[in-house]
Amino acid sequence: MPRLVSYKNFILLAILVGVALMAMRFTHIGRQALTPMEAAIKDGLAPVQSIFMQVGHSFAGGAHSITSLGHMVEENKELKEQIALLKGQLYQQEELKRENERLKNLLQYQDTYSEYFETKTAAVIGRDPGNWFGFVTLNKGSKDGIVKDMPVVTPSGLAGKVVTVSDNTSQVILITDPRSGVGALVQDSRVPGVLEGTTAGSDETRLIHVPKDTQLTKGQVIITSGIGGTFPKGIPIGRIVDVSDEPSGLFKTAMVVPFADLNRLEEVLVISNVFNPDILPSTEGD
Amino acid sequence: MRTIIFLLLIILAMLLQSTFFSFLQVAGVKPDLILMLVVFNGFLRGSREGAFLGFLAGLLQDVFTGNYIGINAITKMLAGYLVGLAEARFYKESVVIVSLVTFFAAILNQLAYYILLFYLDILVSPSSAIVGVVLPSAIYTTLLVPLTYWKFYSSNQKGWLRERES
Repeated sequence: MPRLVSYKNFILLAILVGVALMAMRFTHIGRQALTPMEAAIKDGLAPVQSIFMQVGHSFAGGAHSITSLGHMVEENKELKEQIALLKGQLYQQEELKRENERLKNLLQYQDTYSEYFETKTAAVIGRDPGNWFGFVTLNKGSKDGIVKDMPVVTPSGLAGKVVTVSDNTSQVILITDPRSGVGALVQDSRVPGVLEGTTAGSDETRLIHVPKDTQLTKGQVIITSGIGGTFPKGIPIGRIVDVSDEPSGLFKTAMVVPFADLNRLEEVLVISNVFNPDILPSTEGD
Repeated sequence: MRTIIFLLLIILAMLLQSTFFSFLQVAGVKPDLILMLVVFNGFLRGSREGAFLGFLAGLLQDVFTGNYIGINAITKMLAGYLVGLAEARFYKESVVIVSLVTFFAAILNQLAYYILLFYLDILVSPSSAIVGVVLPSAIYTTLLVPLTYWKFYSSNQKGWLRERES
């Protein structure tokens, strides 16, 4: 049986683990700014990420048109190529059409809410490579006027908020991230609660600390409450799918599925300016 | 030289994971390609190199994500080290064995990550952690092993990842 760790290796290991444990604490999500190295890495990788994202998207949508070509073995080669070309063009058009529809939705949303807040459109160019955190990278940064803590929405509902900004990119923490907390309200009964994320992939959030004597039922709509000051009041978040009691016995918890499809975000709106400040109580923190 | 090529592979895996694979999510999770590379490396090269390159790969991922720098470095170092212990004990040309090793390494890696989340005051309920992340991501990663292991293995024997004398 060989020795598992030599003395020298053990010292090295202990130093590495110690330094990493310290670094972890200092690089938490709430810190004010990125280090210059991190900002440079993010800005440098943004164009590459954009391209990869495009490829991934084309692949996901195009896989179907490619597989359908397999049935035409007898057709002559030229015809096949032509069909592939035409299908490619058709697919591209379909893609443009869908993009057009999505952008039109965003514009419509912008128009509808233009008296309440001003928004900037941004594209998602990357996601957290791991499975725990719900993080997306946007292609707009401080050069485009994006600032930390700006709320991020889609026409269907709330997506998250900006947590770090570099010159050309910004990172958004989604409401499904376990570190996210949003002041929320049940739309019809006006019962307040805190909406927290579970894990990024689950696509579910939980409305916690709701007093037990209040009425919570499946299908109720959850909106932002405006408490905390980060999110304007009244943005739709999601719908209750399940209600259960908390172990303490004093509160209830509701599982809420967000309206926005957070696993497949492509374009989002960053709320850069809120015009109606009286719906935003200026409380510190959230 | 070998380390540089390995780290380039890690960067490629990371870019794929943060972009391409977000369209290929199954049960809400992406595969952990970086861990897969760390496991292959540890399994073929032993615990010393497994832990060292695991640490570097995890550190790269941490700097890329920008938060909690060190969390992936520690968990991937652990995975690389543990897999490296298996290096001398198993037959390296069996995909089944590599797949099983990857599966257990992925589970341990994610459990270590889960424990470190507590250290960082991030609370995730055990049920959503295990059912929502740990198990599905370990299974997804393991399923990709048969597709990629031979490429890595042959590259390690006679390709770019071979140890050069110079």
